[in-house]
Amino acid sequence: MAKILIVDDDPDMVLATRLCLEGAGHEVIEAANGTEALEKIRAERPDLIILDVMMDTTTEGFQLALTLRSPDPRSEYAEFRDIPILILTAIHTTAPVRFSPDEDYLPVDDFIDKPIDPDELVKKVEALLKKAD
Amino acid sequence: MSDSPSGPGLFDTFLLRDLASNTMRLILTRWVAGGLVPLATAFCVRGLGLPLPERPLYLVGAAILSYNGLFVWLVRRAVHTEDPAHLPYMRRLVVLQVALDWLAMAVFLHLTGGIESPALFFFLIHMLMVTILLPGQSPYLYVVIGTGVVLLISLLERTGLLPHYHILPSVPRTLYSDSIFIASRVVFFATTAFATVYLTASIMSRLRERERQVAALFEVTRAVSSTLSLPEVLDALVRSAAEALEVPAASLHLLDETGERLELSASYGVAHPERLKECLITLSESAMDREALAGQPVIVRDAASDPRVRCSVLLEDERFASLLVAPLIGRGGPLGVLRIYSQRPHRFMEEEADFAMAIARQGATALENALAHDALRRSEQTRAQFVRMVTHELRAPVAGAQSLLRVLVRGMAGELTDQQRDILRRLEDRLDALSALINDLLDLAASKTVQLEEPLRPVTLQPVLRAVIERYAAQAEEKQVALRADIPPEPLTVCASEDGLDRVFDNLIGNAVKYTPEGGRVSVHLSKQVASAVITVADTGIGIPEKDLPHLWEEFFRASNARRSRIPGTGLGLSIVRRLVEYYGGLIGVQSVEGQGTTFTVTLPLAGPGGCGPEEAGRGTPSPRPAPEG
Repeated sequence: MAKILIVDDDPDMVLATRLCLEGAGHEVIEAANGTEALEKIRAERPDLIILDVMMDTTTEGFQLALTLRSPDPRSEYAEFRDIPILILTAIHTTAPVRFSPDEDYLPVDDFIDKPIDPDELVKKVEALLKKAD
Repeated sequence: MSDSPSGPGLFDTFLLRDLASNTMRLILTRWVAGGLVPLATAFCVRGLGLPLPERPLYLVGAAILSYNGLFVWLVRRAVHTEDPAHLPYMRRLVVLQVALDWLAMAVFLHLTGGIESPALFFFLIHMLMVTILLPGQSPYLYVVIGTGVVLLISLLERTGLLPHYHILPSVPRTLYSDSIFIASRVVFFATTAFATVYLTASIMSRLRERERQVAALFEVTRAVSSTLSLPEVLDALVRSAAEALEVPAASLHLLDETGERLELSASYGVAHPERLKECLITLSESAMDREALAGQPVIVRDAASDPRVRCSVLLEDERFASLLVAPLIGRGGPLGVLRIYSQRPHRFMEEEADFAMAIARQGATALENALAHDALRRSEQTRAQFVRMVTHELRAPVAGAQSLLRVLVRGMAGELTDQQRDILRRLEDRLDALSALINDLLDLAASKTVQLEEPLRPVTLQPVLRAVIERYAAQAEEKQVALRADIPPEPLTVCASEDGLDRVFDNLIGNAVKYTPEGGRVSVHLSKQVASAVITVADTGIGIPEKDLPHLWEEFFRASNARRSRIPGTGLGLSIVRRLVEYYGGLIGVQSVEGQGTTFTVTLPLAGPGGCGPEEAGRGTPSPRPAPEG
C-alpha cells in the first residue's frame, strides 16, 4: 500500500492508471501538469511518481524529471530526489530513437509503454517500490 | 592592371605549362641554329669562296650546341613537376638562354661583317620569342639591349677597336664605317624591332587575359559548385568573383520574397557589411540594380557622382570608387545581383562587364541549386515536425481508449457478464488493429524523414538479433512454433542504426512467427561472406503466392493469402524493411512457395576499419537527435 502520484494531462489515461493501481491496493493522487505536480509532491510526499513524458508542451514531463533529480545540493526539491519515477511513454514503438534510463539524459527509473498493460504496470510499480525501501 | 595580386593558382599552372613548351621549342630551334652555323659557314667558304673566318664560326656553332645541351637538362629537371612555384625559375632560365644566345649572335654578327651582316635579322626572332615567353615590360628592354649591342659592335668596328671582316667583295670596303649607313641600319632595325615587339606584346597580353579569365572562371565554377549549402555557395561566389576580377571586394544581394527588395546576403572584402545591410535597396529606388536585373551588366565608373547609386556615402567610406553590377539570373528568373567594387575610379570596362556576366551566370546556376536544396531541407524538417505532432495526436486517444478497455476487461472496474467481456474483447481487437496501423504509418513516415537522416554507426548484429528472437520466443512457444537461431559467436559489425536494424529483424521474424501455423518452424541464420553479413529468416508458413511476389515491397500491399488469413497487418512492414536495408547499403531478397514457406535473405556490407563516416555510407547526414514522443 503506497501513495502514488500520476502526472498526466489525459484524463482517460489517468483513470485507467488509477483503476489499475487502486485495484492493486494503492492510494492514487493526480496532477495534470508540471506545476501542479510539484505542489502535490511537496504537500503529499508520494512514494512513487508516474509521469507522462509529453504533456501539453513537449518538454514538461522531461523538465519535471530533471527538476526533481537535479544534482544541485541546494535544489529546493533535493529531499524528493529519491522518489522513484516511472515514465509513461510511447517512445519505444514510435520515435526512431530508443533510449534506456540514463542519468544524464532522462533521470528516471523505468519506462512503461502506452497503452497500459495493467499487469505490467502493477508489476513495475511494485518492483520500484520494493527497490526504494 | 590589378588592385590585388592573387596567389598561385590554375592560371600559373597554365603559364608554367605554356612557358615549358615554348622553351622546348626555343631549344629545338637552337639545335637547328647550332647545326646550321658550321654547315652554312662551310658552304659559304668552300662553295661560294667567301672570306669568312671559318674556325671562329665553327667555335660559335659548337658553343651554341653545347650550352643548348645544358639547357635541355635544366629544363627537363624543372618541368618534371607541374608546381607553379617553378615559374620564376623557368623565367630565369629563359633570360639566361636569351643572354647566351645574344652573346653568340653578337659574336656571329661581328664575324659575318658587323653592321653589314644579314645576320642582323636573327635578333628579331629572339625579340619575338622573348615577348611571347616573358610577361610585362621586359620585351622592350630587350629591344633596347639588342639595338645597343648592334650599335656597340658597329661603333667598335668603325673606331677600329674591333677588326672588321669584309665578307662581300661587291660591297665597298668602307661601308661599315659610313656613319649614315650605320645610323640608318640601326634606326630601321630598332623601329622594326620595337613595332614587332609592341604588336606581339599587345596580342599576347589579350591572349593571356583571356587565358586568365578562363582559369578564373573555372575557379569560380569549382568554388561555387563544391557545396550545396546556401551560405557556403554565397560566400564562395563573392570571394571567387572578387579574385577572378582581381578586385578587393564584392557583395551579393538576393531578391526577397516580394521581388521588390534586395537584401545583402554575402560580402567579401567589405569592412562594414552590417552598414551595407542596413542600406535597404528597394528596386524602385535603385536605378542601378533595376537596370542590372533587366539582364545587362551595369558599369558605374564613378560611384560618388553617379545618381544611379544608392547609399553612395557607404561606398565612399569603404573607399570604393567604381563598381560593376551583374545580374544573377537563374532558369526561374532573376535571383539578385552581384556587385564588384574597385578602389580606383573608371576601373571597369566592357570587357570586365562581360567577364562579370559570365561569372554571374555560373553563380546563378549554383545558387539556384543551393536554394532548391535549402527549400527541400526545410520542407523535410517541416514534415518531420508534422509527423511528430501527428504521432502524438493520433496515438494519445487510441492509447487512452486501449488502456481503459484493458482495465475494464480485467474486471478492475467491476465484474462483467461473459457477453459484455466478449464485446469488450472485440472492441479491444479492433483498437489494437487501429493502433498497429497508426504505428506502421508513423514508422513509414519516420523512416522517410527522420530515420534516414540519422548518421550510421557500427552496429554488431548478434545482440540485435538475439534481442528480437527473445522478444518472439514466448509467442512462438504459445503457438508451438519452433523458433531456432544459428548465430556464430564471431561479432559481425555493419553500418546501420540499432533501432533501424531492430525494426528490420522485428518485422521479418515477427512476420515469420505470425504467418507460421502451429507445429511449424522459424529459423534465423547469420553468416559471414567475404565483405558482408548474410541473415536469413526462413519459415514453414503460409508462403507468398507467386503473382504477389513482385508487389511485396510496395506500401500497403498484402499478399492475397495473408489478407484472407484474417491475421491483422497493414502491408507497410516490408516496405519499411526494404527502405532501411537499402539505406544501410544492403540488399533484401525473398524466396517463397505458397503453402510451404518463405525465406527472406538480408545482405548487409560489413563495416570497414574506417568506421561509418558519411563518405562510407554515401548518404545520410548527421542530424540532431530528434525529440521523442510520449
